[in-house]
Amino acid sequence: MFRKKSECQQLRGMLSPYIDGELSSPEKARVERHIEGCDACRRELEMLRGTVGLLQRAPVVAAPRSFTIAATAPRRRPVAWGALRAATAVAVLVLAFVFIGDALDLLGTGPVEDKSLRQELAATETPVPEPAGGLLGEGDANGDDVLAAEDGAGTRSLRNVELGLAGVVVVLGGATAVVWLRLRREQGGAAEATVEERRDTGR
Amino acid sequence: MQEGELVERAKRGDLDCFNQLVEAYQRRVYNLCLRMLSNPHDAEDTTQAAFISAFRGLGKFRGGSFRAWLFRIAANACRDELRLRLRRPAASLDAIPLDLEVDRRALSPEDYAASQELGRAIGAALAALPADQRLAVILRDIMGLEYAEIGQATASSLGTVKSRISRGRERLRDLLRGYMELSP
Repeated sequence: MFRKKSECQQLRGMLSPYIDGELSSPEKARVERHIEGCDACRRELEMLRGTVGLLQRAPVVAAPRSFTIAATAPRRRPVAWGALRAATAVAVLVLAFVFIGDALDLLGTGPVEDKSLRQELAATETPVPEPAGGLLGEGDANGDDVLAAEDGAGTRSLRNVELGLAGVVVVLGGATAVVWLRLRREQGGAAEATVEERRDTGR
Repeated sequence: MQEGELVERAKRGDLDCFNQLVEAYQRRVYNLCLRMLSNPHDAEDTTQAAFISAFRGLGKFRGGSFRAWLFRIAANACRDELRLRLRRPAASLDAIPLDLEVDRRALSPEDYAASQELGRAIGAALAALPADQRLAVILRDIMGLEYAEIGQATASSLGTVKSRISRGRERLRDLLRGYMELSP
């Protein structure tokens, strides 16, 4: 069975914010109405006020020394850190652009896999003899060879570009990770950058 | 120079401006650490670590209450220190009894002694609270932060701040019952 909280129990949690002026007008009016007629809650309010008064009288301790930072202290993240991150991001974007462009054939070379397959198939196929005097047919066959050769060269160069870019991304990403870990270690886990969010216990 | 201008210049790497902020806040940050850790040596180390962290992380400060941001860094540094103590519990036994410094010339010997005793009693009572309640009460009643600033400093909702302060004060009320006559 659930028992409904008494008015006193409900209001006890509001006494501290009441002291601090942190209640809304209706809440404040509710507390004031209640404590007018409730001796126990009025005493509780006075005890809490006394506690706050004591805490506010707590002697303040002088700083034992100056905490200013010497010029030789480690500075904030070096400029190289920002440049490194930017370079990595640019390299990733370019690589993504090249991959997507290749996949969608935006670069005019056709998908790498399709071209390779086509070349392999072309190499294994037996050439069909063209009819003699077929000027148009002969011409077409020659044109296909030239186009296939160009496509093969374009595909190879694009693949090289992609591999090169992937290498650049790996190197830059690795360097960025190393610098980041070093900075993190230097900060000793105390900097706000590495501070994890406080766990809200909700108590 | 205004605090906002000092912060902006410090963000651009001006160490002198940052050190002016350190001088303005070092007593409060040290007292926060001292109340959280109950150990002057740990408080000193943690205060220094907090200011170094603040300088390094200043680029991440996006405006709002600078003191709440700074106290958050200090509070997190204290939390890290408390976590370390859990891993090596023997360290907490080395805590040195607090010898609070107040201006002796402004007080009679009796008042000075009473102030010392009250300071120690408050320190012991605060140490008995869970860390999150202790932090909320210190920020409110000793540092004088508003609830919204405490929320910013502890990354908590307003409701959580209210609850922590309320529960912390209720516990302190019981622990400090014998000192109520000293309350103004």
